[in-house]
Parts: sequence; structure tokens; C-alpha cells
Amino acid sequence: MTRLALPLVILGTALLSAQQATPPALVTTQEIADGLPRDGSRWVTFGGSYTNQRHSPLTQITPANVKGLVPQWTFQTGTLGNFETTPLLRDNILYVTGPQNVAWALDARTGRQIWRYRRELPSDLTACCGLVNRGFAMLGDKLFMVTLDAHLLALDMRTGNIVWDATLEQYKNGYASTIAPIVVKDKVIVGAAGGEFGIRGFIDAYEANTGKRAWRFYTIPAPGEPGNDTWAGDSWKTGGASVWVTGAYDPDLNLLYYGVGNPGPDYHSESRLGDNLYAASLVAIDADTGKLRWHYQFTPHDVHDWDATEVPILADLTISGQPRKVLMFANRNGFYYTLDRTNGRIIMAKPFVQTTWAKEIGKDGRPMTEPGHTPDETGEITCPDITGGTNFWPPTFDPSTRTFFVNAREACMTFYAWKPDYKAGERFTGGAGQRYTSTTMPVYGALRAIDPTTGERKWEFKYLRPSTAGLLTTASGLIFSGDNDGNLLALDSRNGTLLWRYQMGANLHGTSAITYMIDGRQHVLVPAGTTLTAWALPQ
Amino acid sequence: MTWRTFCVVAGWFIVASALTDAQTKNPLEGDQAAIRGGMGLFRARCADCHGMDAHGVRGPDITQVWASGRTDEGLFTTIKNGITGTEMPAQPRLFDHETWQILAYLRTLAASSRPEASRGDAESGKKIYQANCVSCHRVDGTGGRLGPDLSRIGAARSREVLELRIRGGVEGFLPGFEPVTLTPQTGTAIVGVKKNEDLFSVQIMDSRERIQGYDKSSLKELQNNPRSAMPAFGSNRISEKDLDDLIRYLQTLRGFDPAVIQ
Repeated sequence: MTRLALPLVILGTALLSAQQATPPALVTTQEIADGLPRDGSRWVTFGGSYTNQRHSPLTQITPANVKGLVPQWTFQTGTLGNFETTPLLRDNILYVTGPQNVAWALDARTGRQIWRYRRELPSDLTACCGLVNRGFAMLGDKLFMVTLDAHLLALDMRTGNIVWDATLEQYKNGYASTIAPIVVKDKVIVGAAGGEFGIRGFIDAYEANTGKRAWRFYTIPAPGEPGNDTWAGDSWKTGGASVWVTGAYDPDLNLLYYGVGNPGPDYHSESRLGDNLYAASLVAIDADTGKLRWHYQFTPHDVHDWDATEVPILADLTISGQPRKVLMFANRNGFYYTLDRTNGRIIMAKPFVQTTWAKEIGKDGRPMTEPGHTPDETGEITCPDITGGTNFWPPTFDPSTRTFFVNAREACMTFYAWKPDYKAGERFTGGAGQRYTSTTMPVYGALRAIDPTTGERKWEFKYLRPSTAGLLTTASGLIFSGDNDGNLLALDSRNGTLLWRYQMGANLHGTSAITYMIDGRQHVLVPAGTTLTAWALPQ
Repeated sequence: MTWRTFCVVAGWFIVASALTDAQTKNPLEGDQAAIRGGMGLFRARCADCHGMDAHGVRGPDITQVWASGRTDEGLFTTIKNGITGTEMPAQPRLFDHETWQILAYLRTLAASSRPEASRGDAESGKKIYQANCVSCHRVDGTGGRLGPDLSRIGAARSREVLELRIRGGVEGFLPGFEPVTLTPQTGTAIVGVKKNEDLFSVQIMDSRERIQGYDKSSLKELQNNPRSAMPAFGSNRISEKDLDDLIRYLQTLRGFDPAVIQ
């Protein structure tokens, strides 16, 4: 060894040691609990925070300058199918799930791919409704993603390689999973889709480090458990009640809040007489044990496929002079609800679209149903339609103005029902719908701003057709939405004035924009169709 | 060979022949029992996505599949195998005869793709067509573009529907053919049919068959005309015999459809 070589070796060893001593900072539970930081440096959980408010503190882009937004880059998936995902951002890297269980890590400055993960899916997969995925969760150096064949994967954030693979249930029996997980403490919370295939739904928690299941909460009680008597005969075994949209979490109460899907078979009432708990309900579950703390059933004995799989939003509001811990929920059944999230009691409930099946919620918390809205072989017309007054696309909440925003649908449908036969792994809906239009019931959509203390509409922005876009608000007074014709829209969140638009070429189906800071510039990232596009003001 | 054996063998040949022919033709088409069975199967397995009337809900409208040139054999394969990468599932547990039953029923929801019992003179009908229809409609690359292309209309619509449409007994219009009048901020009104529209723009084909897009902010008014541009041809304009001839002509058409892989 020469006299020069020895110092080089020492220097190299020192550099290597230094690199090994300072690995990339791990994602902590604290930063997930902290939600969206003021510096805009991260978006590390589905709804921005456990509250699902999707309200960013960033103010660089304002109603006054939003017209100046220019695209920074566009990423194309190169896969079949469309985004329904919420991307996550950490350390200037975007982690994105796509259709067909493909996922990417992208450089948020340039949109350039760092790694790509693709899962081989079985050829006999029958997942309903769309081969989609709604996003990652993250903790430590791992990403968590569910799969269409009903697995939960942990991927290495730096490589996209699988760390562990847990089976939720057998896809051949109709189970699938599309939900964005969330991480609570050391657990990953997920649910199963398959409400149209006669599954028995559940919410699961898995140890983030090992993939070992920590607990399971079945959304349909077994015999002997409270609520099983709300299912006639053995109908509980195939009652659906899937969980495919991400819930919220209150760290102080240590409660998870998840909306539960429709009972199955979807339309045929006599196949499952009873209220059918906890289908079409909101369940509050202890995050450590998976035990049910309370529930509220929005649509007892639903026969219109009105999953309660909309995104719940948490906030602390002063109502009638009293501080209240509330949960806000715009339901597929056409009603908007403000619930007390400590006990599930209704504070306020009111239709936010035309509803013909019920006009109001009674004092006992049950909808006061109108006659003639049980589907049969001859068909019955009900509003809202099967897709509902809204659906899984995320709403948003601006705490500064105490306003809940939702993309609402005005549509009706003729519902039919007949007795179905159950065969494991096959569709089990017992009916069908047919679009219904008339001059008195026109089909359209609207972005609606709702006061959660009264249910009153503050303003609306009408679309030609119902929109399926999720929403994002910012502290500067902006709301980002989209119509179903592919227009990305920015509006003034105080009054609904349209400020800026861009034709994306595809609608934001079930996706929302997210926003963050890169090198001192606020970016707005928009998944639409097969593209991700980042926007910012000119440098 | 006994008579009984002969019958079995002959029966087998008949079935085998039907199955061979099934490569292009549904052996159960028109069979009332099969149609009834197919209705139940369709409602149980297909209607949730494609709608009770097959006009589409979550899944696409499938009433025009034959009109677009799909064959019985191709549709049979699609139902059995599904479409990889889409929500259309395979139906591995569906028996072949059940698949044919579904197609037999679907055929009753879709329009007839074959000429019904011959009635009328196609040659005469062609002349009536050229005198009354060609300025707005197109057949095999000739004619106007303001109305729908009729090159395969006889395969897409039943005689009854064609008759109703020609006589003016059907309200409404196909998407892409909604009559519209645009009034610019300055200049004269533009009449045409609407090809597309969103909140901010509208795309039309004007009466001179120019396809154009307009920013709505540049328009004083956009008026959707509630009635189809298709005039009603009553018996004073087209006699019963001429109507038979015209429909017979339309039923003979089997134009090229680029949507169909040849």
C-alpha cells in the first residue's frame, strides 16, 4: 500500500461510515399524527391528516394568482386503467399507486421515475368495481399497499421491493382490496372490498413491522354477537358490508372511524330481512383492540347499493355555544350528517341532494322512509341513483370558514330486484338499475359548500354532468375540483367563483389534488386518468 | 346399425353441425325457452353493470354489439373469457348453452341485425333514399354528414324502429346529432349539430359540415333545439309502398365499420 492509498482508504471508510450512520430519516407516527405541516414538506397519509380534512396550510398560490399556474411536469403511467389514488410526498419523493396494482416512486422535482413496482394479478380475478387502488400508507422505511387479490404488502420505500406480504382473504371467494391504508401507532389499518360478491366484510389491523394480523373487526356480527339478529337466517354469512374507503382516526379518543359498504345482495330485500348491521353504517373502533365502541347506521336495510364508503372528516366545532367533537359525513343516500364522534349521536342531518326515499331523519336517528322504494321485478324509481348523492371521492373541510365541501350528484334511477343464488366468488347483487331521466329530475352535478352546523348550503357551482372528483382546499381560500369533462378547476372557496381551469384530457375520477412545497415553490399535484401533472407559479 | 343407434348418431351430427355452425351463429337464437332462460341469466350476471335494458349503467351499452359487426362467436368468447384488464369478468362456470341463452336474450334487446321477412323493393328504395335522405345521411362514403351514417342501419335497427323514425314517431336524437344554434357576440347565427360540450366550450358540425369549436364566452347565446333535425316523412311524403322499399334498401346495407376488426 502506498503512502497515498492509506489516507484514501481511511477517507473512503469514513465516508461509508458516515453514510451508514445517517440513513434517510424514517417516517414517524408523530409526523403522521401532525398532519400537513406549515412548511409544506410532506403529505404522508391519505387525507393529509387523520382528520381527512384535506385542507392545506399553504398560501403561496392564492385566488389572486392562481391564474398563473403553469405545468412543471407530467408523468404517464403506461398502464391500462385510471388513477383513483392519493399520492404521498416525503423528502421530495412522491409515492404513487396506480391501477392494476402498479406503483411508483417519483422525483417530485421532475416527475422522473425512481422505481416501479408491479404485482402479477391472477387471470381469474373478478374484483368489483374497477381494477384500482386508492393509495399508499407509510411508516419507518416502509410503504403499505393493498392489492386487488386481497393482500396487504409492505414495500421498501427505497427500492419498491416487497418486505412482507399478508393475505387478507381468498380472492377466489370474492374478496379484493382497493383502500388506501392508514398507519395508527404501529399498526396498518385496511379493509376488504367485495360487497357485490357475498363476502363478509371486515376491518383489519396488521403489525407494520411484521405483517402479522393484530386484530380483525367483522362488519357483520356472528351469531351470539350483538347485531347478528338484524340479519334473517344465515344471510349474515354473505351480507357484504365491505370496507373500501379510508376512515379517520382521533388520537385523543383512540378511535378509528370507518364507513361500511352496502349489505348484500344489494337490492333484494327479502334475502336479508332486518336492519343488516353494520352495513351502510359508520363504525367507531378502538384502535388498539378492534372492538366496536359505537355505530350509527345511515341506511337501515339498504336496498339501493348505498355503501357508506364515503370519506369521514373530523373537526372540533363550537355548536350552540358548546365545543363539540364532530364527524362530518356526506352519504351516498343523499343525506349530510354531523355526528358527535364521542358517542355517534346525530347533531344535524339533512338532505344535500334530492332524496325521494326519505325526507328527514327522525329524532331516534332513523330515516323517516317514504313508501314504494323497495325494488322488485317491476322496478321502482328512487332518488338518488345507485351511485348516490356522492360517493367515495374525498370531500374537504375548511376550518377557518367552517365549511364542508362535497361534489354532489343529482340523479335518479329505476331499481329492480329478484332473488339471487349465491355461488362463492360470483356476483351476488339480486337486481339491477336503469338510468332514469325526466324533465322534473334532470341529471347534473354540483360542488356544494355546506355549513356543518346547520346543513344549509352556502353556495354551489353547477356542472353539466355529475362530477366524481375529489377536493382540496387551501388556507389561501382556494378549492381545487374537477368536472367530468376533464376540466381541472380552481375556485374561490368563500363564494364558489371560478378562478382558473385547465383541460386535463381526463376527469379526476375519485382522485383529489394534493399540494406541497418543493424548493420554496408551492406545487399542486393532480392525478387524472393515466397522468400525474404538477403545477406551480412561474419562477 | 339399429334404428335407435342411427337416431343417436344422426342426433349427434345435428348437434355437432349446430356447434360447428355456432362459430358464427347462435344455435339458440329465436328459441323462446332459451330467451326466457337467457333473461334470467342476463339479469343475474350482466344487468348490474350493463343495465336491465342493456343500455349500460356501470358497464357499457351492449345493444349495438351486432350492429357494430361483432359476431355471435366473438360475443360468446367475450362472455366466457371476459376482457383481461377490465371489469368484464370471465364466466368459467357458465355452461356453453347458458352463454348462448344470454346472447339469444340480448338479441331481443338489441336491434335486429338481419333483414326481416323480405318486403319491398330495394332498388326502388335506393332511389327514394337518394331523393330524400342523402343530403344529411351517408352510406358507404357517399352523402351528407349532418345525420348519422346509415351504412349499417339495417343491421342496427328493427323494421319497426326504422319505420317509426322515418315517420317521425320517435322523439330525441343520438348523441352527437343534437341540433343547436349558436349566436356569436357579433355576426350571424350558426346552425348545426352538437358534437361535444363542456362548461366552457361547445363543438359542432355546422350546416356546411364544418366541424368547429367555440368558446362559450364568445357566444351571446347557445340554444339547444329540442327536436331532432330529422323531418317527419308522413304518408303524404313517402307512401306505404315507398316506405317498404326504403326500409328494404336500408336492410340490405352492410357497410364497412372501422370499429370492427376484420
